Amino acid sequence: MGEPERAIDCDGLTRSFPAGVALDALTLDVRRGEVLALLGPNGAGKTTTMRLLNGVLQPDRGTATVLGLDPWTDGEAVRHRTGVLTENAGLDERFTALENLEFVGRLRGMGGDEARRRGGELLERFGMSDRADVRVQGFSTGQRKRVALARALLHDPELLFLDEPTSGLDPAATRDVVELIGSLASDHGRTVVLCTHFLGEAGKLASRMAVLFRGVLHAFGTPEELARDLWSAFEVRLDLGAAASGPLLARLGELGPVHGAAPTSSGALVRLEQRDDIPAVVAACVAAGAEVYAVEPRDPNLEDLYFAIEARAAGTVAAGAP
Amino acid sequence: MSAGRLDHAAIRAVLRKDLTAIGRSKAVVLPMLVVPIILLVLLPASVGLAAQDRSIDIDRFLSLLPSGLTEPITGRPPDEQLIVLVLGYLVAPLFLIVPLMVSAVIAGDAFAGEKERKTLETLLHLPARDRDLYVAKLLVGFLPSVAVAWVGFALYCVVANLVAWPVMHRPFLPTAQWAVLILWVAPAVAAVGLGIMVRVSIRVSNTQEAQQLGGAVVLPLVILAVGQTTGLMLAGTGPTFLVGCAAWALAAWLNVRGARAFTRERMAARL
Ligand SMILES: Nc1ncnc2c1ncn2[C@@H]1O[C@H](COP(=O)(O)OP(=O)(O)OP(=O)(O)O)[C@@H](O)[C@H]1O
Ligand SMILES: [Mg+2]
Repeated sequence: MGEPERAIDCDGLTRSFPAGVALDALTLDVRRGEVLALLGPNGAGKTTTMRLLNGVLQPDRGTATVLGLDPWTDGEAVRHRTGVLTENAGLDERFTALENLEFVGRLRGMGGDEARRRGGELLERFGMSDRADVRVQGFSTGQRKRVALARALLHDPELLFLDEPTSGLDPAATRDVVELIGSLASDHGRTVVLCTHFLGEAGKLASRMAVLFRGVLHAFGTPEELARDLWSAFEVRLDLGAAASGPLLARLGELGPVHGAAPTSSGALVRLEQRDDIPAVVAACVAAGAEVYAVEPRDPNLEDLYFAIEARAAGTVAAGAP
Repeated sequence: MSAGRLDHAAIRAVLRKDLTAIGRSKAVVLPMLVVPIILLVLLPASVGLAAQDRSIDIDRFLSLLPSGLTEPITGRPPDEQLIVLVLGYLVAPLFLIVPLMVSAVIAGDAFAGEKERKTLETLLHLPARDRDLYVAKLLVGFLPSVAVAWVGFALYCVVANLVAWPVMHRPFLPTAQWAVLILWVAPAVAAVGLGIMVRVSIRVSNTQEAQQLGGAVVLPLVILAVGQTTGLMLAGTGPTFLVGCAAWALAAWLNVRGARAFTRERMAARL
Protein backbone atom coordinates (compact mmCIF):
# COMPACT_ATOMS: atom_id res chain seq x y z
CA MET A 1 0.00 0.00 0.00
CA GLY A 2 1.53 3.29 -1.06
CA GLU A 3 1.38 5.53 1.98
CA PRO A 4 0.33 9.04 1.06
CA GLU A 5 2.79 11.67 2.12
CA ARG A 6 0.11 13.64 3.87
CA ALA A 7 -1.67 12.39 6.94
CA ILE A 8 -4.56 14.78 6.49
CA ASP A 9 -5.81 16.66 3.51
CA CYS A 10 -9.00 18.59 3.68
CA ASP A 11 -10.65 20.84 1.22
CA GLY A 12 -13.54 23.17 1.84
CA LEU A 13 -14.67 21.30 4.94
CA THR A 14 -17.83 22.94 6.20
CA ARG A 15 -20.16 22.15 9.03
CA SER A 16 -23.09 24.07 10.47
CA PHE A 17 -25.23 23.62 13.53
CA PRO A 18 -28.65 25.15 14.02
CA ALA A 19 -26.95 28.02 15.82
CA GLY A 20 -24.69 28.81 12.87
CA VAL A 21 -21.61 27.81 10.93
CA ALA A 22 -19.07 26.08 13.15
CA LEU A 23 -16.51 25.47 10.43
CA ASP A 24 -16.47 27.33 7.15
CA ALA A 25 -14.62 25.88 4.16
CA LEU A 26 -11.53 24.68 5.97
CA THR A 27 -8.72 23.77 3.62
CA LEU A 28 -5.47 22.54 5.06
CA ASP A 29 -3.09 19.62 5.06
CA VAL A 30 -1.00 17.89 7.69
CA ARG A 31 2.17 16.08 6.72
CA ARG A 32 3.15 12.76 8.21
CA GLY A 33 5.26 13.16 11.31
CA GLU A 34 4.27 16.76 11.71
CA VAL A 35 2.78 18.52 14.71
CA LEU A 36 0.12 20.93 13.55
CA ALA A 37 -1.19 23.42 16.07
CA LEU A 38 -4.81 24.34 15.66
CA LEU A 39 -5.18 27.67 17.39
CA GLY A 40 -8.13 29.87 17.98
CA PRO A 41 -10.28 31.41 20.69
CA ASN A 42 -13.24 29.66 22.28
CA GLY A 43 -15.80 28.63 19.71
CA ALA A 44 -13.35 28.93 16.81
CA GLY A 45 -14.17 25.43 15.53
CA LYS A 46 -11.15 23.43 16.72
CA THR A 47 -13.10 20.63 18.36
CA THR A 48 -15.53 20.53 15.44
CA THR A 49 -12.57 20.11 13.08
CA MET A 50 -11.29 17.18 15.12
CA ARG A 51 -14.69 15.52 15.13
CA LEU A 52 -15.03 15.93 11.39
CA LEU A 53 -11.56 14.56 10.71
CA ASN A 54 -12.18 11.52 12.92
CA GLY A 55 -15.49 10.71 11.24
CA VAL A 56 -17.62 11.49 14.27
CA LEU A 57 -19.41 14.36 12.59
CA GLN A 58 -20.44 14.47 8.95
CA PRO A 59 -19.42 17.52 6.93
CA ASP A 60 -22.12 19.52 5.17
CA ARG A 61 -19.72 20.18 2.31
CA GLY A 62 -16.12 19.62 1.44
CA THR A 63 -13.87 16.61 1.50
CA ALA A 64 -11.33 15.19 3.86
CA THR A 65 -8.76 12.47 3.47
CA VAL A 66 -7.29 11.12 6.69
CA LEU A 67 -4.55 8.49 6.44
CA GLY A 68 -5.66 7.93 2.89
CA LEU A 69 -9.29 7.31 3.85
CA ASP A 70 -12.48 9.28 3.89
CA PRO A 71 -13.29 9.69 7.57
CA TRP A 72 -17.00 9.83 6.95
CA THR A 73 -17.39 6.66 4.87
CA ASP A 74 -14.47 4.73 6.40
CA GLY A 75 -14.87 6.01 9.92
CA GLU A 76 -14.06 2.74 11.68
CA ALA A 77 -10.87 2.23 9.71
CA VAL A 78 -9.76 5.79 10.41
CA ARG A 79 -10.60 5.57 14.10
CA HIS A 80 -8.68 2.32 14.40
CA ARG A 81 -5.57 4.24 13.45
CA THR A 82 -6.18 7.49 15.31
CA GLY A 83 -6.04 8.28 18.99
CA VAL A 84 -8.06 11.09 20.52
CA LEU A 85 -7.75 13.08 23.67
CA THR A 86 -11.03 14.90 24.08
CA GLU A 87 -11.41 18.20 25.84
CA ASN A 88 -12.77 16.70 29.01
CA ALA A 89 -11.03 13.47 29.83
CA GLY A 90 -14.22 11.40 29.51
CA LEU A 91 -13.16 8.68 31.90
CA ASP A 92 -15.74 6.43 33.50
CA GLU A 93 -15.65 7.24 37.18
CA ARG A 94 -17.07 3.89 38.15
CA PHE A 95 -13.87 2.18 37.04
CA THR A 96 -10.22 2.30 37.92
CA ALA A 97 -7.66 3.99 35.72
CA LEU A 98 -6.46 0.66 34.37
CA GLU A 99 -10.00 -0.62 33.79
CA ASN A 100 -10.75 2.48 31.74
CA LEU A 101 -7.78 1.66 29.54
CA GLU A 102 -8.65 -2.01 29.41
CA PHE A 103 -12.13 -1.25 28.09
CA VAL A 104 -10.77 0.83 25.25
CA GLY A 105 -8.08 -1.75 24.51
CA ARG A 106 -10.65 -4.53 24.25
CA LEU A 107 -12.90 -2.41 22.11
CA ARG A 108 -9.95 -1.84 19.82
CA GLY A 109 -9.56 -5.59 19.53
CA MET A 110 -6.73 -6.20 21.99
CA GLY A 111 -6.91 -9.12 24.36
CA GLY A 112 -7.54 -8.36 28.03
CA ASP A 113 -3.97 -9.21 29.05
CA GLU A 114 -2.44 -7.19 26.28
CA ALA A 115 -4.66 -4.20 27.04
CA ARG A 116 -3.77 -4.33 30.73
CA ARG A 117 -0.07 -4.71 30.01
CA ARG A 118 0.01 -1.78 27.57
CA GLY A 119 -2.19 0.25 29.90
CA GLY A 120 0.08 -0.47 32.83
CA GLU A 121 3.15 0.60 30.87
CA LEU A 122 1.57 3.86 29.79
CA LEU A 123 0.26 4.68 33.24
CA GLU A 124 3.75 4.13 34.54
CA ARG A 125 5.16 6.40 31.88
CA PHE A 126 2.76 9.12 33.01
CA GLY A 127 3.60 8.63 36.67
CA MET A 128 0.24 7.10 37.44
CA SER A 129 1.20 3.50 38.21
CA ASP A 130 0.46 3.90 41.92
CA ARG A 131 -3.10 4.90 41.03
CA ALA A 132 -3.69 2.35 38.30
CA ASP A 133 -6.08 0.33 40.44
CA VAL A 134 -7.83 3.25 42.08
CA ARG A 135 -11.25 4.34 40.87
CA VAL A 136 -11.09 7.48 38.77
CA GLN A 137 -13.79 9.18 40.84
CA GLY A 138 -11.37 10.92 43.18
CA PHE A 139 -8.77 11.87 40.57
CA SER A 140 -7.69 15.45 40.02
CA THR A 141 -8.02 17.13 36.63
CA GLY A 142 -4.36 16.53 35.87
CA GLN A 143 -4.50 12.88 36.86
CA ARG A 144 -7.52 12.36 34.66
CA LYS A 145 -5.78 14.05 31.79
CA ARG A 146 -2.83 11.70 32.10
CA VAL A 147 -5.02 8.64 32.15
CA ALA A 148 -6.90 9.95 29.12
CA LEU A 149 -3.63 10.60 27.33
CA ALA A 150 -2.52 7.06 28.09
CA ARG A 151 -5.81 5.88 26.66
CA ALA A 152 -5.27 7.85 23.46
CA LEU A 153 -1.86 6.22 23.03
CA LEU A 154 -2.91 2.70 23.98
CA HIS A 155 -2.89 1.26 20.47
CA ASP A 156 0.10 3.30 19.33
CA PRO A 157 -1.90 5.33 16.81
CA GLU A 158 -0.39 6.85 13.70
CA LEU A 159 -2.33 10.05 14.07
CA LEU A 160 -3.20 11.79 17.30
CA PHE A 161 -5.86 14.41 17.87
CA LEU A 162 -5.12 16.17 21.12
CA ASP A 163 -7.70 18.68 22.28
CA GLU A 164 -6.07 20.94 24.83
CA PRO A 165 -3.77 18.27 26.23
CA THR A 166 -2.16 20.46 28.86
CA SER A 167 -5.12 22.42 30.19
CA GLY A 168 -5.46 21.69 33.87
CA LEU A 169 -1.94 20.34 34.21
CA ASP A 170 0.63 21.79 36.61
CA PRO A 171 3.86 23.20 35.15
CA ALA A 172 5.84 20.01 35.63
CA ALA A 173 3.17 17.84 34.07
CA THR A 174 2.76 20.34 31.25
CA ARG A 175 6.47 20.13 30.50
CA ASP A 176 6.32 16.32 30.54
CA VAL A 177 3.37 16.23 28.19
CA VAL A 178 4.92 18.77 25.84
CA GLU A 179 8.10 16.69 25.75
CA LEU A 180 6.13 13.55 25.16
CA ILE A 181 4.19 15.05 22.26
CA GLY A 182 7.43 16.30 20.79
CA SER A 183 9.05 12.90 20.99
CA LEU A 184 6.00 11.16 19.53
CA ALA A 185 6.43 13.21 16.42
CA SER A 186 10.18 13.49 16.16
CA ASP A 187 11.25 10.02 17.41
CA HIS A 188 8.28 7.90 16.52
CA GLY A 189 7.06 9.56 13.36
CA ARG A 190 3.58 10.11 14.69
CA THR A 191 1.42 12.87 13.33
CA VAL A 192 -0.20 15.15 15.86
CA VAL A 193 -3.01 17.65 15.54
CA LEU A 194 -2.83 19.78 18.63
CA CYS A 195 -5.73 22.03 19.56
CA THR A 196 -4.61 24.53 22.09
CA HIS A 197 -4.96 27.95 23.62
CA PHE A 198 -1.41 27.87 24.91
CA LEU A 199 0.84 29.55 22.44
CA GLY A 200 3.93 28.49 24.34
CA GLU A 201 3.36 24.82 23.70
CA ALA A 202 2.29 25.45 20.14
CA GLY A 203 5.53 27.36 19.60
CA LYS A 204 7.63 24.58 21.09
CA LEU A 205 5.95 21.73 19.28
CA ALA A 206 4.31 22.76 16.10
CA SER A 207 6.03 23.00 12.78
CA ARG A 208 3.01 24.74 11.36
CA MET A 209 0.03 26.43 12.84
CA ALA A 210 -3.48 27.05 11.68
CA VAL A 211 -5.40 29.88 13.27
CA LEU A 212 -9.16 29.57 13.24
CA PHE A 213 -11.52 32.31 14.15
CA ARG A 214 -15.29 31.83 14.16
CA GLY A 215 -14.94 28.80 11.93
CA VAL A 216 -12.76 30.49 9.35
CA LEU A 217 -9.10 29.68 8.80
CA HIS A 218 -7.25 32.98 9.00
CA ALA A 219 -3.65 31.89 8.84
CA PHE A 220 -1.86 28.69 8.05
CA GLY A 221 1.86 28.05 7.83
CA THR A 222 5.09 28.06 9.78
CA PRO A 223 5.41 30.82 12.37
CA GLU A 224 8.03 32.48 10.14
CA GLU A 225 5.73 32.43 7.16
CA LEU A 226 2.95 33.91 9.18
CA ALA A 227 5.23 36.58 10.58
CA ARG A 228 6.40 37.52 7.10
CA ASP A 229 2.82 37.68 6.06
CA LEU A 230 1.84 39.98 8.86
CA TRP A 231 4.87 42.08 9.51
CA SER A 232 6.42 43.91 6.66
CA ALA A 233 8.27 46.04 9.20
CA PHE A 234 11.21 45.41 11.49
CA GLU A 235 11.04 46.46 15.11
CA VAL A 236 13.80 47.82 17.30
CA ARG A 237 13.76 48.57 20.97
CA LEU A 238 15.99 51.50 21.89
CA ASP A 239 17.31 51.76 25.42
CA LEU A 240 17.92 55.45 26.09
CA GLY A 241 18.01 55.26 29.90
CA ALA A 242 14.70 57.16 30.04
CA ALA A 243 11.53 57.53 28.00
CA ALA A 244 12.18 59.22 24.67
CA SER A 245 11.20 62.89 24.58
CA GLY A 246 8.58 64.27 22.25
CA PRO A 247 11.03 66.19 20.07
CA LEU A 248 13.23 63.11 19.68
CA LEU A 249 10.28 60.99 18.64
CA ALA A 250 9.25 63.64 16.14
CA ARG A 251 12.74 63.75 14.76
CA LEU A 252 12.92 59.97 14.42
CA GLY A 253 9.58 60.04 12.71
CA GLU A 254 10.96 62.33 10.07
CA LEU A 255 13.61 59.82 9.03
CA GLY A 256 12.77 58.16 5.72
CA PRO A 257 12.87 54.46 6.68
CA VAL A 258 11.07 54.89 10.02
CA HIS A 259 7.42 53.81 9.97
CA GLY A 260 6.65 54.79 13.47
CA ALA A 261 8.13 55.46 16.88
CA ALA A 262 6.50 55.05 20.26
CA PRO A 263 7.91 55.86 23.68
CA THR A 264 8.59 53.12 26.21
CA SER A 265 9.57 53.53 29.85
CA SER A 266 13.25 53.19 29.02
CA GLY A 267 13.40 54.62 25.52
CA ALA A 268 11.43 53.95 22.36
CA LEU A 269 10.06 51.26 20.11
CA VAL A 270 10.82 52.06 16.51
CA ARG A 271 9.54 50.37 13.39
CA LEU A 272 11.87 50.30 10.45
CA GLU A 273 11.86 48.95 6.96
CA GLN A 274 14.89 46.76 7.52
CA ARG A 275 17.93 46.05 9.64
CA ASP A 276 20.19 48.31 7.60
CA ASP A 277 18.28 51.31 8.84
CA ILE A 278 19.43 50.89 12.44
CA PRO A 279 22.65 53.01 12.20
CA ALA A 280 20.72 56.00 10.87
CA VAL A 281 18.33 55.79 13.81
CA VAL A 282 21.18 55.60 16.32
CA ALA A 283 22.92 58.53 14.63
CA ALA A 284 19.74 60.61 14.80
CA CYS A 285 19.40 59.86 18.52
CA VAL A 286 23.00 60.81 19.19
CA ALA A 287 22.65 63.96 17.13
CA ALA A 288 19.63 64.92 19.24
CA GLY A 289 21.72 64.53 22.37
CA ALA A 290 20.22 61.25 23.58
CA GLU A 291 22.46 58.51 24.98
CA VAL A 292 21.98 55.11 23.38
CA TYR A 293 22.65 52.23 25.80
CA ALA A 294 21.31 49.37 23.74
CA VAL A 295 19.55 48.58 20.48
CA GLU A 296 17.59 45.34 20.40
CA PRO A 297 15.90 44.07 17.28
CA ARG A 298 12.64 42.57 18.40
CA ASP A 299 11.23 39.55 16.59
CA PRO A 300 7.52 39.15 16.91
CA ASN A 301 6.73 36.23 19.20
CA LEU A 302 3.93 33.81 18.71
CA GLU A 303 1.72 35.79 20.98
CA ASP A 304 2.13 38.91 18.88
CA LEU A 305 1.39 36.88 15.82
CA TYR A 306 -1.66 35.31 17.30
CA PHE A 307 -3.15 38.55 18.49
CA ALA A 308 -2.37 40.19 15.19
CA ILE A 309 -4.16 37.42 13.33
CA GLU A 310 -7.04 37.52 15.72
CA ALA A 311 -7.31 41.27 15.45
CA ARG A 312 -7.19 41.09 11.67
CA ALA A 313 -9.77 38.32 11.73
CA ALA A 314 -12.03 40.29 14.00
CA GLY A 315 -12.00 43.01 11.41
CA THR A 316 -10.16 45.59 13.46
CA VAL A 317 -7.25 47.17 11.68
CA ALA A 318 -4.01 45.45 12.43
CA ALA A 319 -1.64 47.32 10.23
CA GLY A 320 1.40 45.42 11.31
CA ALA A 321 2.07 46.51 14.88
CA PRO A 322 1.59 44.03 17.67
CA MET B 1 -23.07 1.96 6.84
CA SER B 2 -25.22 -1.07 7.37
CA ALA B 3 -23.17 -3.63 5.51
CA GLY B 4 -20.81 -6.05 7.15
CA ARG B 5 -20.79 -8.28 10.16
CA LEU B 6 -20.99 -7.30 13.78
CA ASP B 7 -17.74 -6.53 15.55
CA HIS B 8 -17.89 -9.03 18.39
CA ALA B 9 -14.85 -7.69 20.23
CA ALA B 10 -16.41 -4.24 20.42
CA ILE B 11 -19.78 -5.58 21.50
CA ARG B 12 -18.21 -7.79 24.14
CA ALA B 13 -16.09 -4.91 25.42
CA VAL B 14 -19.13 -2.66 25.90
CA LEU B 15 -21.17 -5.51 27.41
CA ARG B 16 -18.41 -6.34 29.81
CA LYS B 17 -17.94 -2.75 30.89
CA ASP B 18 -21.63 -2.03 31.39
CA LEU B 19 -22.46 -5.32 33.10
CA THR B 20 -19.52 -4.85 35.45
CA ALA B 21 -20.73 -1.34 36.24
CA ILE B 22 -24.25 -2.67 36.90
CA GLY B 23 -22.81 -5.35 39.15
CA ARG B 24 -20.93 -2.72 41.13
CA SER B 25 -23.83 -0.39 41.59
CA LYS B 26 -25.82 -1.18 44.70
CA ALA B 27 -28.49 1.21 43.53
CA VAL B 28 -29.13 -1.05 40.54
CA VAL B 29 -28.33 -4.49 41.92
CA LEU B 30 -30.38 -4.28 45.09
CA PRO B 31 -33.68 -3.43 43.41
CA MET B 32 -32.86 -5.99 40.73
CA LEU B 33 -32.56 -8.69 43.39
CA VAL B 34 -35.12 -7.53 45.91
CA VAL B 35 -37.99 -6.69 43.58
CA PRO B 36 -37.90 -10.03 41.75
CA ILE B 37 -37.57 -11.93 45.02
CA ILE B 38 -40.60 -10.14 46.41
CA LEU B 39 -42.67 -10.33 43.26
CA LEU B 40 -41.63 -13.74 42.02
CA VAL B 41 -41.03 -15.68 45.21
CA LEU B 42 -42.44 -14.13 48.39
CA LEU B 43 -45.67 -12.76 46.94
CA PRO B 44 -46.63 -15.99 45.12
CA ALA B 45 -45.66 -18.02 48.17
CA SER B 46 -47.88 -16.06 50.51
CA VAL B 47 -50.72 -15.96 48.01
CA GLY B 48 -50.28 -19.70 47.54
CA LEU B 49 -50.45 -20.28 51.28
CA ALA B 50 -53.60 -18.21 51.52
CA ALA B 51 -55.06 -20.18 48.63
CA GLN B 52 -54.93 -23.34 50.70
CA ASP B 53 -57.89 -21.98 52.59
CA ARG B 54 -60.62 -24.03 51.00
CA SER B 55 -63.42 -21.82 52.20
CA ILE B 56 -62.61 -19.31 49.46
CA ASP B 57 -65.20 -19.50 46.74
CA ILE B 58 -63.59 -19.26 43.33
CA ASP B 59 -66.70 -19.89 41.27
CA ARG B 60 -67.61 -16.22 41.34
CA PHE B 61 -64.20 -15.34 40.00
CA LEU B 62 -64.29 -18.00 37.33
CA SER B 63 -67.70 -16.83 36.22
CA LEU B 64 -66.09 -13.51 35.28
CA LEU B 65 -63.95 -15.22 32.69
CA PRO B 66 -65.23 -16.41 29.32
CA SER B 67 -66.47 -19.93 29.94
CA GLY B 68 -64.25 -21.41 27.26
CA LEU B 69 -61.18 -20.29 29.15
CA THR B 70 -62.00 -21.73 32.55
CA GLU B 71 -61.82 -25.33 31.45
CA PRO B 72 -58.19 -25.84 32.64
CA ILE B 73 -59.38 -24.90 36.15
CA THR B 74 -62.86 -26.34 36.36
CA GLY B 75 -61.64 -29.62 34.92
CA ARG B 76 -59.60 -30.23 38.06
CA PRO B 77 -60.62 -31.75 41.38
CA PRO B 78 -62.31 -29.03 43.50
CA ASP B 79 -59.60 -28.75 46.15
CA GLU B 80 -56.89 -28.20 43.52
CA GLN B 81 -58.78 -25.51 41.66
CA LEU B 82 -57.90 -22.52 43.79
CA ILE B 83 -54.19 -23.18 44.09
CA VAL B 84 -53.82 -24.00 40.41
CA LEU B 85 -55.71 -20.86 39.49
CA VAL B 86 -53.50 -18.69 41.68
CA LEU B 87 -50.09 -20.25 41.22
CA GLY B 88 -50.61 -21.60 37.76
CA TYR B 89 -52.29 -18.59 36.17
CA LEU B 90 -52.91 -15.47 38.23
CA VAL B 91 -49.26 -14.75 39.03
CA ALA B 92 -48.17 -15.15 35.41
CA PRO B 93 -48.20 -11.39 34.59
CA LEU B 94 -45.43 -10.86 37.12
CA PHE B 95 -43.09 -12.87 34.94
CA LEU B 96 -43.57 -10.43 32.10
CA ILE B 97 -43.57 -7.29 34.20
CA VAL B 98 -40.38 -7.98 36.10
CA PRO B 99 -38.12 -8.51 33.06
CA LEU B 100 -39.79 -5.54 31.41
CA MET B 101 -38.94 -3.39 34.41
CA VAL B 102 -35.39 -4.65 34.67
CA SER B 103 -34.71 -4.04 31.00
CA ALA B 104 -36.33 -0.61 31.14
CA VAL B 105 -34.26 0.49 34.11
CA ILE B 106 -30.99 -0.65 32.56
CA ALA B 107 -31.72 0.51 29.04
CA GLY B 108 -32.73 3.96 30.20
CA ASP B 109 -29.10 4.38 31.14
CA ALA B 110 -27.75 3.04 27.82
CA PHE B 111 -26.86 6.31 26.11
CA ALA B 112 -28.29 8.83 28.54
CA GLY B 113 -25.90 7.47 31.15
CA GLU B 114 -22.94 7.92 28.81
CA LYS B 115 -24.02 11.52 28.25
CA GLU B 116 -24.48 12.12 31.94
CA ARG B 117 -21.07 10.69 32.78
CA LYS B 118 -19.52 12.61 29.87
CA THR B 119 -18.10 9.43 28.37
CA LEU B 120 -20.15 9.59 25.18
CA GLU B 121 -17.69 11.62 23.15
CA THR B 122 -14.86 9.23 23.91
CA LEU B 123 -17.08 6.34 22.92
CA LEU B 124 -17.90 8.00 19.61
CA HIS B 125 -14.20 8.50 18.88
CA LEU B 126 -13.59 4.75 19.20
CA PRO B 127 -13.70 2.48 16.18
CA ALA B 128 -16.91 0.58 17.06
CA ARG B 129 -19.60 1.06 14.45
CA ASP B 130 -22.88 2.73 15.26
CA ARG B 131 -24.76 -0.52 14.91
CA ASP B 132 -22.35 -2.43 17.15
CA LEU B 133 -22.81 0.17 19.85
CA TYR B 134 -26.58 -0.09 19.56
CA VAL B 135 -26.52 -3.89 19.68
CA ALA B 136 -24.17 -3.85 22.66
CA LYS B 137 -26.43 -1.48 24.56
CA LEU B 138 -29.43 -3.63 23.70
CA LEU B 139 -27.75 -6.73 25.09
CA VAL B 140 -26.69 -4.88 28.22
CA GLY B 141 -30.40 -4.53 29.01
CA PHE B 142 -31.54 -7.82 27.55
CA LEU B 143 -29.24 -10.30 29.26
CA PRO B 144 -29.93 -9.29 32.87
CA SER B 145 -33.67 -9.07 32.31
CA VAL B 146 -33.84 -12.54 30.79
CA ALA B 147 -31.55 -13.87 33.51
CA VAL B 148 -33.85 -12.41 36.17
CA ALA B 149 -36.90 -13.93 34.49
CA TRP B 150 -35.34 -17.36 34.13
CA VAL B 151 -33.65 -17.59 37.51
CA GLY B 152 -36.73 -16.08 39.10
CA PHE B 153 -38.92 -18.68 37.43
CA ALA B 154 -36.70 -21.55 38.52
CA LEU B 155 -36.97 -20.34 42.11
CA TYR B 156 -40.65 -19.78 41.69
CA CYS B 157 -41.21 -23.36 40.51
CA VAL B 158 -39.53 -24.71 43.62
CA VAL B 159 -41.47 -22.42 45.95
CA ALA B 160 -44.81 -22.91 44.19
CA ASN B 161 -44.50 -26.69 44.15
CA LEU B 162 -43.62 -26.69 47.85
CA VAL B 163 -46.50 -24.42 48.76
CA ALA B 164 -48.94 -26.47 46.70
CA TRP B 165 -47.66 -29.85 47.87
CA PRO B 166 -50.21 -30.36 50.70
CA VAL B 167 -52.97 -29.99 48.10
CA MET B 168 -51.43 -31.41 44.96
CA HIS B 169 -49.14 -34.11 46.37
CA ARG B 170 -47.01 -33.74 43.21
CA PRO B 171 -45.03 -31.03 41.38
CA PHE B 172 -47.34 -29.28 38.92
CA LEU B 173 -44.97 -26.59 37.55
CA PRO B 174 -43.55 -25.94 35.02
CA THR B 175 -46.26 -26.60 32.50
CA ALA B 176 -46.02 -26.24 28.73
CA GLN B 177 -47.73 -22.83 28.86
CA TRP B 178 -45.26 -21.63 31.42
CA ALA B 179 -42.36 -22.84 29.35
CA VAL B 180 -43.66 -20.85 26.37
CA LEU B 181 -44.33 -17.82 28.52
CA ILE B 182 -40.92 -17.79 30.18
CA LEU B 183 -38.72 -18.92 27.33
CA TRP B 184 -40.50 -17.21 24.47
CA VAL B 185 -42.85 -14.41 25.55
CA ALA B 186 -40.93 -12.88 28.45
CA PRO B 187 -37.73 -12.24 26.42
CA ALA B 188 -39.87 -10.81 23.64
CA VAL B 189 -41.63 -8.43 26.00
CA ALA B 190 -38.27 -7.40 27.44
CA ALA B 191 -37.03 -6.74 23.90
CA VAL B 192 -40.07 -4.55 23.21
CA GLY B 193 -39.30 -2.59 26.36
CA LEU B 194 -35.70 -2.25 25.23
CA GLY B 195 -36.72 -1.04 21.80
CA ILE B 196 -38.61 1.76 23.51
CA MET B 197 -36.13 2.56 26.25
CA VAL B 198 -32.92 2.56 24.21
CA ARG B 199 -34.64 4.91 21.82
CA VAL B 200 -35.66 7.16 24.67
CA SER B 201 -32.15 6.97 26.05
CA ILE B 202 -30.73 8.21 22.75
CA ARG B 203 -32.91 11.29 22.85
CA VAL B 204 -32.72 12.51 26.41
CA SER B 205 -29.71 13.89 28.17
CA ASN B 206 -29.71 12.03 31.47
CA THR B 207 -30.88 8.79 33.02
CA GLN B 208 -33.53 10.39 35.17
CA GLU B 209 -35.23 11.93 32.16
CA ALA B 210 -35.04 8.57 30.42
CA GLN B 211 -36.81 6.87 33.32
CA GLN B 212 -39.53 9.49 33.43
CA LEU B 213 -40.21 9.58 29.73
CA GLY B 214 -39.65 5.83 29.35
CA GLY B 215 -41.90 5.00 32.28
CA ALA B 216 -44.76 6.80 30.60
CA VAL B 217 -44.25 4.79 27.42
CA VAL B 218 -43.68 1.42 29.10
CA LEU B 219 -46.59 1.73 31.53
CA PRO B 220 -49.27 0.80 28.96
CA LEU B 221 -47.30 -2.38 28.27
CA VAL B 222 -47.34 -3.22 31.96
CA ILE B 223 -51.09 -2.66 32.13
CA LEU B 224 -51.57 -4.81 29.06
CA ALA B 225 -49.47 -7.56 30.59
CA VAL B 226 -51.40 -7.41 33.87
CA GLY B 227 -54.74 -7.53 32.13
CA GLN B 228 -54.10 -10.17 29.51
CA THR B 229 -51.49 -12.66 30.62
CA THR B 230 -53.71 -14.83 32.78
CA GLY B 231 -56.29 -15.13 30.04
CA LEU B 232 -53.54 -15.93 27.58
CA MET B 233 -52.22 -18.74 29.74
CA LEU B 234 -55.71 -20.15 30.11
CA ALA B 235 -56.12 -20.03 26.36
CA GLY B 236 -53.22 -22.47 26.03
CA THR B 237 -49.77 -22.79 24.51
CA GLY B 238 -50.80 -22.03 20.92
CA PRO B 239 -52.19 -18.55 21.56
CA THR B 240 -49.38 -17.83 24.03
CA PHE B 241 -46.82 -18.74 21.41
CA LEU B 242 -48.53 -16.55 18.82
CA VAL B 243 -48.61 -13.57 21.15
CA GLY B 244 -44.90 -14.18 21.70
CA CYS B 245 -44.40 -14.08 17.93
CA ALA B 246 -46.27 -10.80 17.74
CA ALA B 247 -44.15 -9.38 20.57
CA TRP B 248 -40.94 -10.46 18.81
CA ALA B 249 -42.12 -8.87 15.59
CA LEU B 250 -42.86 -5.64 17.42
CA ALA B 251 -39.50 -5.82 19.18
CA ALA B 252 -37.71 -6.38 15.88
CA TRP B 253 -39.48 -3.45 14.28
CA LEU B 254 -38.77 -1.15 17.22
CA ASN B 255 -35.14 -2.15 17.41
CA VAL B 256 -34.44 -1.92 13.71
CA ARG B 257 -35.86 1.58 13.83
CA GLY B 258 -33.92 2.28 17.00
CA ALA B 259 -30.68 1.12 15.43
CA ARG B 260 -31.33 3.42 12.47
CA ALA B 261 -32.09 6.32 14.77
CA PHE B 262 -28.80 5.81 16.51
CA THR B 263 -26.03 7.39 14.49
CA ARG B 264 -22.77 8.85 15.64
CA GLU B 265 -23.49 11.99 13.76
CA ARG B 266 -26.80 12.50 15.53
CA MET B 267 -25.24 11.84 18.91
CA ALA B 268 -22.22 14.03 18.23
CA ALA B 269 -24.34 16.89 16.96
CA ARG B 270 -25.89 17.09 20.42
CA LEU B 271 -22.69 16.86 22.40
N1 LIG C 1 -22.88 19.91 18.84
C1 LIG C 1 -23.03 21.23 18.63
N2 LIG C 1 -24.25 21.78 18.58
C2 LIG C 1 -24.40 23.09 18.36
N3 LIG C 1 -23.39 23.94 18.18
C3 LIG C 1 -22.15 23.46 18.22
C4 LIG C 1 -21.90 22.08 18.45
N4 LIG C 1 -20.56 21.87 18.45
C5 LIG C 1 -20.02 23.08 18.22
N5 LIG C 1 -20.96 24.03 18.09
C6 LIG C 1 -20.71 25.45 17.82
O1 LIG C 1 -19.72 25.54 16.84
C7 LIG C 1 -18.76 26.53 17.16
C8 LIG C 1 -17.37 25.90 17.22
O2 LIG C 1 -17.30 25.06 18.35
P1 LIG C 1 -16.03 24.21 18.73
O3 LIG C 1 -16.40 23.39 19.90
O4 LIG C 1 -15.53 23.51 17.54
O5 LIG C 1 -15.01 25.34 19.18
P2 LIG C 1 -13.56 25.21 19.83
O6 LIG C 1 -12.63 25.93 18.92
O7 LIG C 1 -13.26 23.80 20.14
O8 LIG C 1 -13.75 26.05 21.16
P3 LIG C 1 -13.09 25.85 22.60
O9 LIG C 1 -11.76 26.48 22.56
O10 LIG C 1 -14.01 26.60 23.49
O11 LIG C 1 -13.06 24.39 22.89
C9 LIG C 1 -19.21 27.15 18.45
O12 LIG C 1 -19.90 28.33 18.16
C10 LIG C 1 -20.14 26.13 19.04
O13 LIG C 1 -21.13 26.74 19.80
MG1 LIG D 1 -12.89 22.80 21.85
